[in-house]
Amino acid sequence: MTLAACGGDDDSEGGDEPTTDDATTDATADEPSGDEAAGDDVVIPVWVAFEDYRLDWTNDVADAFNEQVDGYDVQITGFASYNDAFEAAIQAINSGEPPAVVHFFEAATQEARDAISNDGEPVFADLEAIIDGRTEVAGVPVVLDDVVSAASTYYQLDGSYTSMPWNTSSAIMFLNRTLLDAAGVEGTPTTWQELEAACATFMASDAATDSCVTWPNHSWFVEQDIALQGELLANNDNGRSGRADEVFIDSDAMVDYVTWWKGLADQGYYTYTGTQRDWTGTYDLFAAQNVPFLLYSSSDTTALTEEGVTGGFDVEAAFLPHKDGVTDGGALIGGATNWVINGLDESTQDGAIAWVNFLSNPENAASWHQTTGYIPITETAVANLEAEGYFDENPNQRVASEQLAASPDTPATTGALIGNFVAIRDVITEAIESVLVNGDDPAERLAAAQEDAQALLDEYNLLFGEG
Amino acid sequence: MPILALIVLLVAAVAGAATLSRVGTSVGPLRLLGGALGGGLGALAVSAPLDFCTFSDEYETKDFVFGLVLMALGAAAGIAAARAVLSPAKLSSVETSHGVWRSRWLPWVLLSPTLAVLIVFLYWPALRTIQYSTKLARLSNPKRVDRCTYNFTELVGPSRPWLALVLAGLGIAGILAGVMLDRRGMRATHNARSVVAAVSTVALLSALAFVFTDDYRQVYVVTMIISVGTVVGGLAISLGIAFISYQPIRGASVYRTLLIWPYAVSPPIAGILFFVLFDANTGIIDHWTTSLLDTGLADYRTNAVLAQGVVILASIWKTLGYNLLFYVAGLQTIPPDQIEAAMIDGATAWQRFRHIIIPALSPITFFLIVTNLTYAFFETYGTIDYLTKGGPAGQTNVAMYEIIQVFNTGGDLGRGSAQSMILFAGVVGLTMWQFRSTGRRVSYG
Repeated sequence: MTLAACGGDDDSEGGDEPTTDDATTDATADEPSGDEAAGDDVVIPVWVAFEDYRLDWTNDVADAFNEQVDGYDVQITGFASYNDAFEAAIQAINSGEPPAVVHFFEAATQEARDAISNDGEPVFADLEAIIDGRTEVAGVPVVLDDVVSAASTYYQLDGSYTSMPWNTSSAIMFLNRTLLDAAGVEGTPTTWQELEAACATFMASDAATDSCVTWPNHSWFVEQDIALQGELLANNDNGRSGRADEVFIDSDAMVDYVTWWKGLADQGYYTYTGTQRDWTGTYDLFAAQNVPFLLYSSSDTTALTEEGVTGGFDVEAAFLPHKDGVTDGGALIGGATNWVINGLDESTQDGAIAWVNFLSNPENAASWHQTTGYIPITETAVANLEAEGYFDENPNQRVASEQLAASPDTPATTGALIGNFVAIRDVITEAIESVLVNGDDPAERLAAAQEDAQALLDEYNLLFGEG
Repeated sequence: MPILALIVLLVAAVAGAATLSRVGTSVGPLRLLGGALGGGLGALAVSAPLDFCTFSDEYETKDFVFGLVLMALGAAAGIAAARAVLSPAKLSSVETSHGVWRSRWLPWVLLSPTLAVLIVFLYWPALRTIQYSTKLARLSNPKRVDRCTYNFTELVGPSRPWLALVLAGLGIAGILAGVMLDRRGMRATHNARSVVAAVSTVALLSALAFVFTDDYRQVYVVTMIISVGTVVGGLAISLGIAFISYQPIRGASVYRTLLIWPYAVSPPIAGILFFVLFDANTGIIDHWTTSLLDTGLADYRTNAVLAQGVVILASIWKTLGYNLLFYVAGLQTIPPDQIEAAMIDGATAWQRFRHIIIPALSPITFFLIVTNLTYAFFETYGTIDYLTKGGPAGQTNVAMYEIIQVFNTGGDLGRGSAQSMILFAGVVGLTMWQFRSTGRRVSYG
């Protein structure tokens, strides 16, 4: 039990990346060492929404960048959450001292595309527009064309990237095989029903623990399960063929999912840790072997596998269970991209473009994957890891990429682009919390949530919509 | 300007004139004019910046009523100001010839650093908050859409209007009765006076609860529960501990110092500490109960009463040091001869505590009620964020936490500002009560 674990970034902003590592570093700028900082190098301030071991990794990559690429000095600053970095960036732009690159998450893609600073200009530049067809910027190869398809379909609109994909994950299932073997549970559940049956067997066995399964009450899991049913979260093809102006929070797919979830909780199979977006609490339950099943972000595959090694139990990763009898859906990505600030001078802008591509070059993409469990973001990185035999040695690391590759390319599985999505996500998790804690009827509660969410979207579109 | 708005302004002006005409013994035209100006301008000051939008057909009845209430409050403030200006200054009767500045500008120069700080960090942000509270506004877009009073009135939706009316009526009746009792100066009814005051306060506060929509009523009720719990529990416990630690025992100064330590801990740290203690899955107490009693600790994060209890407990612990500091100091100021006299008269320890010490400490208690309530309103956010995140299902979602949530998740400047204005109104009410009560119901020995 460490304080860092309690104070993890299970923040209200809806960030998809749990912090479960104990290593934390200062939020303040971490000046890279080295003499090149003193020269005439163009400073590239990069704001990253991590403060833990992932920030350390980023700092190491920045040091390498500063050494290998002439004329630039990338300076990394860590933030506690995506929203902190975003708010700080907007204020910095309005006060005339913007950073060059800001790290912002997938649910806020619409807002990042729309965001306008006080002088009426867009906050972020359109990445492909400023790359302008170049295949190499400041000597760093552009890797956009190499990005794996799940991320490219999510982050592209009309075939063009507005930001550079970086940390990308999917929701997957982790199993404590040792516990399940002890309880005589065989196989790996692939559907809701199979998971429920496995839990029934497990809880009736002598090896039963407090409960069977847990996952954070985070809207991201809800969105996964809607996509796995092949259903939309918003109109206009999930906001892909035009600005979404209607959300479907009370859809049948949604009600079915929450009803199933409530059933698991009512039977004592699911443990609700009592707070929304509780990455740390759910992680700890699995790590302490209180539950044999955990639905979680693949971003922590490395750490969770390691928990099994230190705790003496076998951790297996598997696809997220889907609704029985539904096969046309698929899983979604989660994570974040790097946005280049609009209106930078040319050399700073080129440095920023070089940096975001350097961060995802084959070597760094593979290292990032091995350090965390976020998927290798480029095809070359996947191929290199495969060739090295890394996936054969670490089968858990393969699951998220495979799950995303198995996902068909439909609007439902591409993920929703919705304005004010972060606040709408909170409306969803609030509703689910009422269902789990107060025993509200899922259909009624989701109908109320639909009204609130729709109002939030209407307000957003009033500010940003055409006209 | 709509005709209706003009009529309301005229009514406010007439009411102002009428009020002030009854204040003095002579009816001067100046008084009437002052009252009319105070009332009219006061009402105008709150409605003109809104462009009289509450009278427009675009908005609902509740916006209209809310606008009237605002105008009434503005008029009341204006009339009070006019009254203060026109009444013969009471202070001038006291001879304060020393320390009066001869120069007109020198005091302003000397005050300017303070004023500059106040303007930059207090008045200017406050003004911006008021502006934002009437807009649909978002951090990521400079565009603003006028919303009139919608940010406020969307929180209003009496589900049981008759109950709100009955309670409000009871409260107002209580206040009137209290005023009557005060006027007649019936000393024998001292206890009745306190009962009337308590009943009317509770009735008014409850009436307010039924004015809000279900969602915001929960925020209001939770804020009340956690604030009252923190203040009442905190003061009782700290007075008890102060009384015990005040006893002359060897080493008292050392442990008195130690008792004050929690004051130095920040609210989020208090939250983390109590989480580590009480968490049902990984907490220390759960570990003990599991190993000693073979039963796990109940999960406070999924039980409303326990969640509120833990938040209150953590807040009490956090404010304990501060309260102790004042109570220990207060106890030292009670003249020992009073207590000795009581002992000679045969008063038991409890009687001495109840009838000598508690009344003697009443100014300190009163001061602490105000500071602790302010703490409970504004500072418990950090504790709650680490303990419960406002859950389960909003049962520890106090007003301040709600404001931060509203702003943080949606970057919603308008709603956040409107809700912080509501909290601000609560604190203004509290401050007015403080100023009125000081020197009236509080005995300074």
